[in-house]
Amino acid sequence: MAAARPVPPLNTLYFYLTEGCNLRCRHCWIEPPHQSETRQFPALEPGLFRRIIVQAKPLGLSSVKLTGGEPLMHPQIGEILSILREEKIRFNVETNGVLCTPEVARDLVRSGLYHLSVSLDGSDAATHEWVRGVKGCFGAALQGIRNLVAAGIRPQVIMTLMRRNVGQIETLVRLVESLGAGSVKFNIVQPTARGVKMHEAGETLGIRELIELGRWIEKDLAPTVQVRLFYSHPAAFRTLGRMFGQNGDCGICGIRGILGVLGNGSYALCGIGETVPELVFGDAAKDALADVWRDNAVLNEIRGGLPRKLDGICGDCLMKGVCLGSCIAQNYYRSRNLWAPFWFCEEASKLGLFPETRVRKGLPATQEAARREERACTCR
Amino acid sequence: MDVKNPIANPLIVLREEFDDWAILFDPDTGNAFGLNPTGVFIWKLLDGKHNTDDIVSRLCEEADDVPEDAGEHARQFIASLEQQGLVGYEVIAGNPA
Repeated sequence: MAAARPVPPLNTLYFYLTEGCNLRCRHCWIEPPHQSETRQFPALEPGLFRRIIVQAKPLGLSSVKLTGGEPLMHPQIGEILSILREEKIRFNVETNGVLCTPEVARDLVRSGLYHLSVSLDGSDAATHEWVRGVKGCFGAALQGIRNLVAAGIRPQVIMTLMRRNVGQIETLVRLVESLGAGSVKFNIVQPTARGVKMHEAGETLGIRELIELGRWIEKDLAPTVQVRLFYSHPAAFRTLGRMFGQNGDCGICGIRGILGVLGNGSYALCGIGETVPELVFGDAAKDALADVWRDNAVLNEIRGGLPRKLDGICGDCLMKGVCLGSCIAQNYYRSRNLWAPFWFCEEASKLGLFPETRVRKGLPATQEAARREERACTCR
Repeated sequence: MDVKNPIANPLIVLREEFDDWAILFDPDTGNAFGLNPTGVFIWKLLDGKHNTDDIVSRLCEEADDVPEDAGEHARQFIASLEQQGLVGYEVIAGNPA
Protein backbone atom coordinates (compact mmCIF):
# COMPACT_ATOMS: atom_id res chain seq x y z
CA MET A 1 0.00 0.00 0.00
CA ALA A 2 1.40 3.38 -0.95
CA ALA A 3 2.13 5.77 1.91
CA ALA A 4 -0.19 8.76 2.07
CA ARG A 5 1.45 11.94 0.83
CA PRO A 6 1.76 14.59 3.56
CA VAL A 7 -0.62 17.51 3.12
CA PRO A 8 1.26 20.83 3.17
CA PRO A 9 0.03 23.73 5.28
CA LEU A 10 -2.50 26.01 3.64
CA ASN A 11 -0.48 29.18 4.11
CA THR A 12 -2.45 31.68 2.08
CA LEU A 13 -5.93 32.13 0.65
CA TYR A 14 -6.35 34.35 -2.40
CA PHE A 15 -9.82 35.91 -2.24
CA TYR A 16 -11.14 37.15 -5.58
CA LEU A 17 -13.76 39.11 -3.70
CA THR A 18 -15.87 40.49 -6.53
CA GLU A 19 -17.08 38.94 -9.74
CA GLY A 20 -17.26 42.34 -11.43
CA CYS A 21 -14.69 45.12 -11.75
CA ASN A 22 -14.94 48.89 -12.02
CA LEU A 23 -12.28 48.98 -14.79
CA ARG A 24 -11.99 47.23 -18.16
CA CYS A 25 -8.28 46.44 -18.37
CA ARG A 26 -7.31 45.19 -21.79
CA HIS A 27 -4.68 42.76 -20.46
CA CYS A 28 -6.69 41.28 -17.56
CA TRP A 29 -6.12 37.54 -17.09
CA ILE A 30 -9.36 37.12 -15.12
CA GLU A 31 -11.68 39.01 -17.47
CA PRO A 32 -14.37 40.11 -15.00
CA PRO A 33 -17.44 41.90 -16.36
CA HIS A 34 -17.50 45.68 -16.00
CA GLN A 35 -19.57 46.80 -13.04
CA SER A 36 -21.29 50.17 -12.99
CA GLU A 37 -24.14 51.76 -11.07
CA THR A 38 -26.60 50.07 -13.43
CA ARG A 39 -24.85 46.68 -13.75
CA GLN A 40 -24.02 44.90 -10.51
CA PHE A 41 -22.39 41.50 -10.05
CA PRO A 42 -22.15 39.23 -6.99
CA ALA A 43 -19.45 39.50 -4.36
CA LEU A 44 -18.33 37.00 -1.74
CA GLU A 45 -20.75 37.05 1.16
CA PRO A 46 -19.00 38.14 4.42
CA GLY A 47 -20.50 35.29 6.45
CA LEU A 48 -19.02 32.77 4.03
CA PHE A 49 -15.72 34.69 4.05
CA ARG A 50 -15.57 34.27 7.83
CA ARG A 51 -16.44 30.57 7.70
CA ILE A 52 -13.64 29.96 5.20
CA ILE A 53 -11.11 31.83 7.36
CA VAL A 54 -12.18 29.89 10.47
CA GLN A 55 -11.80 26.57 8.60
CA ALA A 56 -8.44 27.59 7.16
CA LYS A 57 -6.73 28.58 10.41
CA PRO A 58 -6.26 25.01 11.70
CA LEU A 59 -4.85 24.08 8.27
CA GLY A 60 -2.04 26.62 8.69
CA LEU A 61 -3.47 29.88 7.37
CA SER A 62 -1.14 32.78 8.10
CA SER A 63 -2.10 35.37 5.50
CA VAL A 64 -4.74 36.34 2.99
CA LYS A 65 -4.67 38.20 -0.30
CA LEU A 66 -7.65 40.37 -1.23
CA THR A 67 -7.91 40.81 -4.96
CA GLY A 68 -10.59 40.77 -7.61
CA GLY A 69 -12.15 42.01 -9.76
CA GLU A 70 -11.56 44.97 -7.50
CA PRO A 71 -11.53 44.08 -3.80
CA LEU A 72 -12.25 47.58 -2.54
CA MET A 73 -15.44 47.59 -4.64
CA HIS A 74 -16.89 44.89 -2.38
CA PRO A 75 -20.11 46.39 -0.95
CA GLN A 76 -19.17 45.17 2.57
CA ILE A 77 -15.43 45.72 2.43
CA GLY A 78 -15.53 47.23 5.94
CA GLU A 79 -17.05 44.02 7.28
CA ILE A 80 -14.46 41.91 5.42
CA LEU A 81 -11.66 43.94 7.02
CA SER A 82 -13.23 43.69 10.46
CA ILE A 83 -13.31 39.87 10.11
CA LEU A 84 -9.59 39.84 9.30
CA ARG A 85 -8.99 42.10 12.29
CA GLU A 86 -11.00 39.86 14.63
CA GLU A 87 -9.39 36.68 13.33
CA LYS A 88 -5.93 38.31 13.52
CA ILE A 89 -5.02 37.36 9.95
CA ARG A 90 -2.57 39.63 8.17
CA PHE A 91 -3.36 40.38 4.56
CA ASN A 92 -2.25 42.07 1.37
CA VAL A 93 -4.35 43.82 -1.22
CA GLU A 94 -4.14 44.14 -4.99
CA THR A 95 -6.18 47.13 -6.13
CA ASN A 96 -6.50 49.57 -9.00
CA GLY A 97 -6.44 52.35 -6.41
CA VAL A 98 -9.56 54.11 -7.63
CA LEU A 99 -11.54 53.45 -4.43
CA CYS A 100 -8.71 54.04 -1.92
CA THR A 101 -10.40 56.81 0.05
CA PRO A 102 -8.74 58.18 3.21
CA GLU A 103 -11.25 56.19 5.31
CA VAL A 104 -10.54 52.91 3.48
CA ALA A 105 -6.79 53.53 3.75
CA ARG A 106 -7.02 54.03 7.52
CA ASP A 107 -9.25 50.97 7.85
CA LEU A 108 -6.70 48.87 5.94
CA VAL A 109 -3.90 49.96 8.27
CA ARG A 110 -5.77 49.17 11.47
CA SER A 111 -6.96 45.80 10.15
CA GLY A 112 -3.56 44.15 9.67
CA LEU A 113 -2.49 45.12 6.15
CA TYR A 114 1.15 44.20 5.43
CA HIS A 115 1.42 44.91 1.71
CA LEU A 116 -0.63 46.69 -0.92
CA SER A 117 -0.12 47.13 -4.63
CA VAL A 118 -1.77 49.62 -6.95
CA SER A 119 -1.80 49.20 -10.72
CA LEU A 120 -0.55 52.15 -12.77
CA ASP A 121 0.11 51.47 -16.43
CA GLY A 122 1.24 54.86 -17.61
CA SER A 123 2.65 58.13 -16.39
CA ASP A 124 -0.16 60.09 -18.03
CA ALA A 125 -3.93 59.77 -18.15
CA ALA A 126 -4.13 58.98 -21.86
CA THR A 127 -1.86 55.94 -21.58
CA HIS A 128 -3.16 54.57 -18.28
CA GLU A 129 -6.79 54.97 -19.34
CA TRP A 130 -6.12 53.37 -22.75
CA VAL A 131 -4.99 50.29 -20.82
CA ARG A 132 -7.65 50.47 -18.11
CA GLY A 133 -10.62 51.36 -20.29
CA VAL A 134 -12.35 53.89 -18.03
CA LYS A 135 -12.11 57.67 -18.22
CA GLY A 136 -10.91 59.41 -15.08
CA CYS A 137 -9.28 56.35 -13.50
CA PHE A 138 -5.74 57.80 -13.74
CA GLY A 139 -6.45 60.78 -11.51
CA ALA A 140 -8.45 58.57 -9.14
CA ALA A 141 -5.59 56.07 -8.86
CA LEU A 142 -3.07 58.84 -8.11
CA GLN A 143 -5.38 60.24 -5.43
CA GLY A 144 -5.76 56.72 -4.05
CA ILE A 145 -1.98 56.38 -3.77
CA ARG A 146 -1.78 59.75 -2.01
CA ASN A 147 -4.46 58.63 0.45
CA LEU A 148 -2.59 55.41 1.15
CA VAL A 149 0.69 57.24 1.71
CA ALA A 150 -1.07 59.69 4.03
CA ALA A 151 -2.31 56.71 6.07
CA GLY A 152 1.24 55.39 6.43
CA ILE A 153 1.20 52.78 3.66
CA ARG A 154 3.99 52.73 1.11
CA PRO A 155 2.24 50.92 -1.73
CA GLN A 156 3.94 49.02 -4.49
CA VAL A 157 2.99 50.30 -7.93
CA ILE A 158 2.57 47.62 -10.59
CA MET A 159 3.08 48.58 -14.22
CA THR A 160 2.26 45.98 -16.85
CA LEU A 161 4.57 46.51 -19.79
CA MET A 162 3.24 46.68 -23.34
CA ARG A 163 4.07 48.44 -26.57
CA ARG A 164 1.88 51.44 -25.73
CA ASN A 165 3.58 52.29 -22.40
CA VAL A 166 7.12 50.97 -22.76
CA GLY A 167 8.42 54.49 -23.35
CA GLN A 168 7.07 55.65 -19.98
CA ILE A 169 9.02 53.40 -17.63
CA GLU A 170 11.35 56.07 -16.33
CA THR A 171 8.71 58.80 -16.09
CA LEU A 172 6.44 56.42 -14.21
CA VAL A 173 9.19 55.56 -11.74
CA ARG A 174 9.80 59.29 -11.14
CA LEU A 175 6.07 59.82 -10.66
CA VAL A 176 5.97 56.97 -8.15
CA GLU A 177 8.90 58.49 -6.26
CA SER A 178 7.13 61.84 -6.10
CA LEU A 179 3.97 60.19 -4.72
CA GLY A 180 5.87 58.51 -1.88
CA ALA A 181 5.16 54.92 -2.92
CA GLY A 182 7.65 52.23 -1.92
CA SER A 183 8.48 50.21 -5.00
CA VAL A 184 7.60 49.49 -8.60
CA LYS A 185 7.04 46.05 -10.04
CA PHE A 186 7.02 45.54 -13.79
CA ASN A 187 4.75 42.78 -15.01
CA ILE A 188 4.61 41.10 -18.39
CA VAL A 189 1.29 40.68 -20.20
CA GLN A 190 0.38 37.00 -19.89
CA PRO A 191 -1.38 35.31 -22.81
CA THR A 192 -4.43 34.53 -20.69
CA ALA A 193 -8.00 35.73 -21.28
CA ARG A 194 -7.83 39.37 -22.53
CA GLY A 195 -4.06 39.15 -22.63
CA VAL A 196 -4.35 36.63 -25.47
CA LYS A 197 -5.99 39.27 -27.63
CA MET A 198 -3.18 41.74 -26.89
CA HIS A 199 -0.57 39.16 -27.86
CA GLU A 200 -2.46 38.38 -31.08
CA ALA A 201 -2.84 42.08 -31.92
CA GLY A 202 0.91 42.71 -31.54
CA GLU A 203 0.30 45.07 -28.62
CA THR A 204 2.72 43.23 -26.35
CA LEU A 205 6.52 43.25 -26.33
CA GLY A 206 8.65 40.52 -27.89
CA ILE A 207 10.79 38.18 -25.83
CA ARG A 208 14.08 39.76 -26.89
CA GLU A 209 12.75 43.20 -25.99
CA LEU A 210 11.46 41.98 -22.63
CA ILE A 211 14.79 40.37 -21.75
CA GLU A 212 16.69 43.53 -22.67
CA LEU A 213 14.25 45.69 -20.70
CA GLY A 214 14.73 43.50 -17.66
CA ARG A 215 18.50 43.91 -17.82
CA TRP A 216 18.18 47.67 -18.28
CA ILE A 217 15.75 48.08 -15.38
CA GLU A 218 17.74 45.90 -12.97
CA LYS A 219 21.26 47.00 -13.90
CA ASP A 220 20.94 50.58 -15.14
CA LEU A 221 17.73 52.13 -13.89
CA ALA A 222 17.48 50.60 -10.40
CA PRO A 223 20.73 52.14 -9.06
CA THR A 224 19.59 55.64 -10.07
CA VAL A 225 16.21 55.72 -8.30
CA GLN A 226 14.99 55.92 -4.70
CA VAL A 227 12.32 53.22 -4.90
CA ARG A 228 13.00 49.50 -5.27
CA LEU A 229 12.34 48.03 -8.70
CA PHE A 230 11.23 44.47 -9.41
CA TYR A 231 10.98 42.94 -12.84
CA SER A 232 8.76 39.89 -13.21
CA HIS A 233 10.72 37.80 -15.61
CA PRO A 234 11.20 34.10 -14.81
CA ALA A 235 13.99 33.03 -12.45
CA ALA A 236 16.20 31.81 -15.27
CA PHE A 237 16.56 35.38 -16.49
CA ARG A 238 17.27 36.98 -13.13
CA THR A 239 20.77 37.38 -11.78
CA LEU A 240 21.62 35.18 -8.81
CA GLY A 241 22.60 38.31 -6.90
CA ARG A 242 19.07 39.72 -7.33
CA MET A 243 17.60 36.49 -6.02
CA PHE A 244 19.98 35.40 -3.30
CA GLY A 245 22.09 38.48 -2.50
CA GLN A 246 21.56 41.05 0.22
CA ASN A 247 17.88 42.12 0.23
CA GLY A 248 17.39 39.56 -2.50
CA ASP A 249 14.00 38.51 -3.71
CA CYS A 250 14.22 34.79 -4.39
CA GLY A 251 10.74 34.82 -5.91
CA ILE A 252 9.89 31.28 -4.88
CA CYS A 253 6.30 30.65 -5.87
CA GLY A 254 4.12 29.62 -2.93
CA ILE A 255 1.76 27.59 -5.08
CA ARG A 256 1.99 24.50 -2.85
CA GLY A 257 0.46 26.45 0.05
CA ILE A 258 -2.08 28.61 -1.77
CA LEU A 259 -5.75 28.18 -2.58
CA GLY A 260 -8.05 30.58 -4.41
CA VAL A 261 -11.60 31.54 -3.43
CA LEU A 262 -13.67 33.07 -6.21
CA GLY A 263 -16.35 35.73 -5.82
CA ASN A 264 -19.09 33.11 -6.14
CA GLY A 265 -17.65 31.10 -3.24
CA SER A 266 -15.88 28.44 -5.32
CA TYR A 267 -12.51 27.04 -4.33
CA ALA A 268 -10.04 27.12 -7.21
CA LEU A 269 -6.32 26.87 -7.96
CA CYS A 270 -6.37 30.68 -8.15
CA GLY A 271 -8.24 33.25 -10.26
CA ILE A 272 -7.70 30.97 -13.24
CA GLY A 273 -10.82 29.17 -12.03
CA GLU A 274 -12.82 32.05 -13.52
CA THR A 275 -11.90 30.90 -17.02
CA VAL A 276 -10.88 27.23 -16.59
CA PRO A 277 -13.71 25.22 -14.98
CA GLU A 278 -11.59 22.11 -14.29
CA LEU A 279 -9.41 24.19 -11.96
CA VAL A 280 -12.42 24.85 -9.70
CA PHE A 281 -12.21 22.46 -6.76
CA GLY A 282 -15.42 22.85 -4.81
CA ASP A 283 -18.04 25.12 -3.32
CA ALA A 284 -17.20 26.79 0.00
CA ALA A 285 -20.88 26.90 0.93
CA LYS A 286 -21.15 23.11 0.73
CA ASP A 287 -17.70 21.53 0.89
CA ALA A 288 -15.44 21.36 3.93
CA LEU A 289 -12.20 23.21 3.22
CA ALA A 290 -10.11 20.52 4.93
CA ASP A 291 -11.55 17.88 2.57
CA VAL A 292 -10.90 19.97 -0.53
CA TRP A 293 -7.36 20.82 0.57
CA ARG A 294 -6.53 17.22 1.44
CA ASP A 295 -8.31 15.30 -1.29
CA ASN A 296 -8.55 17.35 -4.46
CA ALA A 297 -6.92 15.41 -7.29
CA VAL A 298 -5.33 18.40 -9.02
CA LEU A 299 -3.83 19.75 -5.81
CA ASN A 300 -2.42 16.32 -5.06
CA GLU A 301 -1.05 16.00 -8.57
CA ILE A 302 0.72 19.34 -8.17
CA ARG A 303 2.11 18.33 -4.76
CA GLY A 304 3.45 15.10 -6.15
CA GLY A 305 4.80 16.40 -9.43
CA LEU A 306 6.11 19.91 -8.99
CA PRO A 307 8.83 20.63 -10.09
CA ARG A 308 9.91 17.09 -11.04
CA LYS A 309 7.35 16.62 -13.80
CA LEU A 310 7.80 19.98 -15.51
CA ASP A 311 8.27 19.49 -19.21
CA GLY A 312 10.24 21.11 -22.02
CA ILE A 313 12.61 23.92 -21.14
CA CYS A 314 11.15 24.15 -17.61
CA GLY A 315 12.05 20.50 -17.05
CA ASP A 316 15.62 21.21 -18.16
CA CYS A 317 16.00 24.47 -16.23
CA LEU A 318 18.33 24.52 -13.23
CA MET A 319 16.07 27.06 -11.54
CA LYS A 320 12.96 24.92 -11.59
CA GLY A 321 13.12 24.26 -7.86
CA VAL A 322 12.79 28.00 -7.28
CA CYS A 323 10.62 29.00 -10.22
CA LEU A 324 8.27 25.97 -10.24
CA GLY A 325 7.37 26.59 -13.87
CA SER A 326 6.75 30.30 -13.23
CA CYS A 327 2.94 30.00 -13.31
CA ILE A 328 1.34 26.61 -13.69
CA ALA A 329 -2.10 28.23 -14.01
CA GLN A 330 -0.91 30.07 -17.10
CA ASN A 331 0.83 26.96 -18.41
CA TYR A 332 -2.34 24.93 -17.99
CA TYR A 333 -4.51 27.62 -19.57
CA ARG A 334 -2.35 27.52 -22.67
CA SER A 335 -1.95 23.78 -23.06
CA ARG A 336 -4.34 21.96 -20.71
CA ASN A 337 -1.24 20.29 -19.31
CA LEU A 338 -0.10 21.15 -15.78
CA TRP A 339 3.49 20.34 -16.64
CA ALA A 340 3.77 22.37 -19.85
CA PRO A 341 6.63 24.85 -19.95
CA PHE A 342 6.12 28.56 -19.35
CA TRP A 343 5.48 30.36 -22.64
CA PHE A 344 8.13 33.03 -22.07
CA CYS A 345 10.89 30.49 -21.44
CA GLU A 346 9.76 28.27 -24.28
CA GLU A 347 9.86 31.15 -26.77
CA ALA A 348 13.20 32.36 -25.42
CA SER A 349 14.59 28.86 -25.85
CA LYS A 350 13.39 28.66 -29.45
CA LEU A 351 15.03 32.01 -30.16
CA GLY A 352 18.31 30.92 -28.56
CA LEU A 353 17.86 33.51 -25.80
CA PHE A 354 17.57 31.19 -22.80
CA PRO A 355 20.63 31.60 -20.54
CA GLU A 356 22.99 28.68 -21.19
CA THR A 357 24.19 28.49 -17.60
CA ARG A 358 20.66 27.82 -16.39
CA VAL A 359 19.97 24.76 -18.58
CA ARG A 360 20.62 21.17 -17.67
CA LYS A 361 21.85 20.41 -21.19
CA GLY A 362 25.22 18.70 -21.23
CA LEU A 363 25.06 17.68 -17.57
CA PRO A 364 24.85 14.13 -16.28
CA ALA A 365 21.26 12.98 -15.86
CA THR A 366 20.93 10.04 -13.52
CA GLN A 367 17.22 10.64 -12.94
CA GLU A 368 16.41 11.82 -16.42
CA ALA A 369 14.89 8.55 -17.60
CA ALA A 370 12.55 8.36 -14.62
CA ARG A 371 11.51 11.94 -15.19
CA ARG A 372 10.62 11.31 -18.82
CA GLU A 373 8.35 8.43 -17.88
CA GLU A 374 6.43 10.60 -15.49
CA ARG A 375 5.94 13.46 -17.94
CA ALA A 376 2.90 14.46 -19.94
CA CYS A 377 0.45 13.75 -17.15
CA THR A 378 -2.52 16.03 -17.68
CA CYS A 379 -5.38 16.96 -15.43
CA ARG A 380 -8.96 16.90 -16.57
CA MET B 1 45.79 12.87 14.74
CA ASP B 2 43.97 12.58 11.46
CA VAL B 3 43.34 15.79 9.54
CA LYS B 4 40.10 16.25 7.60
CA ASN B 5 40.21 18.39 4.50
CA PRO B 6 36.92 19.25 2.82
CA ILE B 7 36.57 18.02 -0.72
CA ALA B 8 33.85 18.84 -3.23
CA ASN B 9 31.58 16.03 -4.37
CA PRO B 10 32.96 15.38 -7.87
CA LEU B 11 29.46 14.85 -9.28
CA ILE B 12 28.44 18.41 -8.48
CA VAL B 13 28.60 20.87 -11.36
CA LEU B 14 29.66 24.50 -10.93
CA ARG B 15 28.20 26.87 -13.50
CA GLU B 16 29.87 30.29 -13.33
CA GLU B 17 28.00 33.36 -14.57
CA PHE B 18 29.02 36.76 -15.93
CA ASP B 19 28.75 38.53 -12.55
CA ASP B 20 31.00 36.05 -10.67
CA TRP B 21 28.04 34.33 -9.01
CA ALA B 22 27.54 30.67 -9.86
CA ILE B 23 25.08 27.82 -9.67
CA LEU B 24 25.96 24.55 -7.98
CA PHE B 25 23.91 21.79 -9.52
CA ASP B 26 23.44 18.31 -8.15
CA PRO B 27 22.43 16.14 -11.11
CA ASP B 28 21.41 13.32 -8.83
CA THR B 29 18.73 15.24 -6.97
CA GLY B 30 18.11 18.04 -9.47
CA ASN B 31 18.77 20.60 -6.74
CA ALA B 32 20.48 23.87 -7.65
CA PHE B 33 22.07 26.39 -5.31
CA GLY B 34 23.18 29.98 -5.88
CA LEU B 35 26.74 30.83 -4.79
CA ASN B 36 28.01 34.37 -4.33
CA PRO B 37 31.55 35.24 -5.49
CA THR B 38 33.06 34.40 -2.08
CA GLY B 39 31.28 31.06 -2.12
CA VAL B 40 32.67 30.37 -5.58
CA PHE B 41 36.20 31.18 -4.36
CA ILE B 42 35.83 28.77 -1.45
CA TRP B 43 34.25 26.05 -3.62
CA LYS B 44 37.28 26.04 -5.91
CA LEU B 45 39.54 25.35 -2.93
CA LEU B 46 37.54 22.35 -1.75
CA ASP B 47 40.01 20.00 -3.38
CA GLY B 48 41.02 17.88 -0.40
CA LYS B 49 44.38 19.65 -0.23
CA HIS B 50 43.23 22.64 1.82
CA ASN B 51 41.73 22.73 5.27
CA THR B 52 39.37 25.48 6.37
CA ASP B 53 42.16 27.60 7.86
CA ASP B 54 44.10 27.43 4.57
CA ILE B 55 41.00 28.52 2.69
CA VAL B 56 40.38 31.49 4.98
CA SER B 57 44.04 32.51 4.68
CA ARG B 58 43.80 32.42 0.89
CA LEU B 59 40.61 34.46 1.08
CA CYS B 60 42.34 37.11 3.22
CA GLU B 61 45.24 37.25 0.76
CA GLU B 62 43.09 37.72 -2.30
CA ALA B 63 40.08 39.75 -1.13
CA ASP B 64 39.71 43.22 0.35
CA ASP B 65 37.96 44.02 3.63
CA VAL B 66 37.62 40.44 4.83
CA PRO B 67 35.69 40.58 8.14
CA GLU B 68 37.23 39.19 11.32
CA ASP B 69 34.60 36.47 11.58
CA ALA B 70 35.22 35.22 8.03
CA GLY B 71 36.66 31.97 9.38
CA GLU B 72 33.45 31.17 11.25
CA HIS B 73 31.35 32.05 8.21
CA ALA B 74 33.52 29.84 6.01
CA ARG B 75 33.17 26.93 8.44
CA GLN B 76 29.38 27.36 8.53
CA PHE B 77 29.26 27.55 4.74
CA ILE B 78 31.28 24.36 4.33
CA ALA B 79 29.16 22.63 6.98
CA SER B 80 26.00 23.59 5.08
CA LEU B 81 27.50 22.19 1.88
CA GLU B 82 28.26 18.98 3.72
CA GLN B 83 24.66 18.77 4.98
CA GLN B 84 23.44 19.06 1.39
CA GLY B 85 25.77 16.29 0.28
CA LEU B 86 27.84 18.63 -1.84
CA VAL B 87 31.04 18.24 0.17
CA GLY B 88 32.78 15.37 1.91
CA TYR B 89 36.08 15.06 3.79
CA GLU B 90 39.37 13.58 2.79
CA VAL B 91 41.00 12.10 5.85
CA ILE B 92 44.75 12.56 5.90
CA ALA B 93 46.51 10.26 8.37
CA GLY B 94 48.72 12.22 10.71
CA ASN B 95 50.90 11.55 13.75
CA PRO B 96 49.12 10.17 16.81
CA ALA B 97 48.27 12.96 19.22
